[in-house]
Amino acid sequence: MCVLCGQDFVAQAHWTDRYVEDRARAAGPDADPTEYQRDRRRDRAHRAAVTNEVLAYYGLRVKDWAGSKYVLSDGKGNSRIVQDLGALWPAAEKILGRPLDPLDPALKERMLDGALAR
Amino acid sequence: MPSPDKPAKRPVTIVTGFLGSGKTTLLSRVLLDPSMSDTAVLVNEFGKVGLDHHLLRRADEKTVLLGHGCVCCTTRDDLVEALLGLLDEEGRGEIAPLKGIVVETTGLADPAPILYTVFSHPVLQHHYRVDRVICTVDAVNGPLHLDRNPESTKQIAAADVVVLTKTDVSEAGLVGGLRGRVGGINPSARVLEAPFGALDPDELFGDGAADQSPSGLRPSGAVEFGDGLHVSETHSTSLTFDGPVDWTAFGTWFSMLLHARGEDVLRVKGLLDVGGSGPVLLNGVQHVIHPPDHLEEWPDEDRRSRIVFITRGIRAEEIVDSLETFSGLTGARPQPLEANLRV
Repeated sequence: MCVLCGQDFVAQAHWTDRYVEDRARAAGPDADPTEYQRDRRRDRAHRAAVTNEVLAYYGLRVKDWAGSKYVLSDGKGNSRIVQDLGALWPAAEKILGRPLDPLDPALKERMLDGALAR
Repeated sequence: MPSPDKPAKRPVTIVTGFLGSGKTTLLSRVLLDPSMSDTAVLVNEFGKVGLDHHLLRRADEKTVLLGHGCVCCTTRDDLVEALLGLLDEEGRGEIAPLKGIVVETTGLADPAPILYTVFSHPVLQHHYRVDRVICTVDAVNGPLHLDRNPESTKQIAAADVVVLTKTDVSEAGLVGGLRGRVGGINPSARVLEAPFGALDPDELFGDGAADQSPSGLRPSGAVEFGDGLHVSETHSTSLTFDGPVDWTAFGTWFSMLLHARGEDVLRVKGLLDVGGSGPVLLNGVQHVIHPPDHLEEWPDEDRRSRIVFITRGIRAEEIVDSLETFSGLTGARPQPLEANLRV
């Protein structure tokens, strides 16, 4: 499945999830599952928070859904369930109708304004 | 289930290079070395230059394009079959344990689908890893290929090691100029010369520790925005950060960039200081990102992040600017480096 459009069929963890997932797998069957679960949930909460800072400029937000998926939604009631960041950006593009480009000068301006306002 | 005595993944080496650039000649010489006897070789065609090797297999290029996928996110079915077949034979004891696999591509092939195949196949990803991409560049016709064929630039951008072939028959001044051009496209690659197709396998498959050329992480001086020599529309951007980078935030930025501009990000390679005991080794060819490796420790004294982006049509300033904008999230500001960078 494509790293960009990969959805649901999770044969492969997205590269941004690899660190936590791989450590949990490497620990083997005898390890304490809660130990890695805590790291994993913390990582997901942090990822959602960071990504929300960016998505806010597009009027979107993302929420960790029970530690298994993310729910992406806008203010008009549209929402999408996504597996990881690889699927999040295409879904956001679908909702918005245009790609979210980090090189976009307009995004830069808004992010700098946002930083000043805080 | 993983167990402590689980064998390491078998390294896959991809040999690419433009038509007639000397891939097969290089392989036929290197494979003569006794140390290469348990390395399997997958080729696209049995050409005129006979490769004499007992583990030689043929893999016709069969590409499966996934629905609404881009070209680099395709699976090479032939490769899957060949690699699974080798695992099978090894498991049955018909061949000695494999030390590695060498995949020779056709001259026009894009190496990204091969990487994608190995990383994404549910079985292969647990048994193989992509060790390196080697690209041969013909010292006689190389400049011509680079001028006329975008595939050639892409192949160099994807490479970890660039081998200049036919240096024995090229004009004296040409090799130096070509080295400069290759370095301009991909400053992170190691450049070797192979006159008459002869090259020590250790040099080709080693880690380049013996290579004395400067590893070149120097603070930026006169070079503006760390923009390397750029060849037509291809730019290379080398940068570091003024502190540890939040890996999660970097992942957010980079996955966003790959989604918006993935086809124009030909290559990314580097070591990122994420505040741990060692750096994260990041390596990607277009959308295809190697599983990031969180290293236990730094490979050398220099503990700074160093990362190279090779882009098409995206200027170095844009990358630096964008990372600067995101510095509130990543926790570190980008600092351009001189282009001469090897990681």
